[in-house]
Amino acid sequence: MEAELELSLRPRTPAHQPVTDSLTEIPTGKLGLWVFLAGEIMIFGGMIACFILLRIAAGGWASDAAHVDWQIGTLNTLVLLTSSLTMILALAAVRADRRSAVKLYLGLTVALGLLFLVVKGYEYAGHFAEGYTPLSGMFWSFYYLMTGLHALHVTGGIVVNFVLLMMAIRGTLWEGGQGRVEFAGLYWHFVDVVWIFLFPLLYLSLKLT
Amino acid sequence: MSVAHDTDTFYIEIWAWLVGLLAIGTAAVFLPIPKLAALLVVFAVAIVKAVLVIRNYMHLKAEHLMIYLIAAIPALLILIMAIALLPDIAFRR
Repeated sequence: MEAELELSLRPRTPAHQPVTDSLTEIPTGKLGLWVFLAGEIMIFGGMIACFILLRIAAGGWASDAAHVDWQIGTLNTLVLLTSSLTMILALAAVRADRRSAVKLYLGLTVALGLLFLVVKGYEYAGHFAEGYTPLSGMFWSFYYLMTGLHALHVTGGIVVNFVLLMMAIRGTLWEGGQGRVEFAGLYWHFVDVVWIFLFPLLYLSLKLT
Repeated sequence: MSVAHDTDTFYIEIWAWLVGLLAIGTAAVFLPIPKLAALLVVFAVAIVKAVLVIRNYMHLKAEHLMIYLIAAIPALLILIMAIALLPDIAFRR
């Protein structure tokens, strides 16, 4: 009886093998992450759609947008694109079991994420010094809401990548690590894709109106 | 040449394309072309960059149909919302 109970409680999937959805054979972790990202698409997509619609309705905003520095925005885009590269190189390294490369690339991803936040903080400080706060008008409300929420997502990604880096350093990442780095990477690339749209929307397009 | 080296080279090539497209998208704002054309270039470049990241870094090109659906449905809902609201917001007098 006890042996039967023990057998029934034993996990059916071998240790460190990803659990997959029975219908699609997709690892459940990946499936869950994509559902989470679908919610994120609704959040950021909704904000971007509202920005465009209200911009069409209200007109203007160009004088406010003139205070946003496109050079800083371009620099931050470059930083985030490069961090996406280091993140995917970390995944390629973990798949090839190149352990020192995994640590290097995860470390670079964390460092580039922090650089992005520092540049963003510098930018915010400049706007506040000029007197542009979230209450300074519709453009600034959108600007702070969208870039602020994005920065929070970057912060979350940095924390996850830092935890993975610590695990890699301590040697606890390698069993099942491929899935962890892959899922963290999916999130990080999504954050990059959001910025790819925020940059032209907030920094470039209003210069053309 | 090892498979790992080939993979790394491929990802670096994609990054080089992304940086090149960033330069094109940013330069379009300052080129002596009609504003509408520049606006189209800026957003077309953004879409191409996003597709490059999603297909190659997020590996969507090799994913199950279910993943495509999970990603596409919310994007479609946002598009429907925007189109539905457009007449009320953009053409109100």
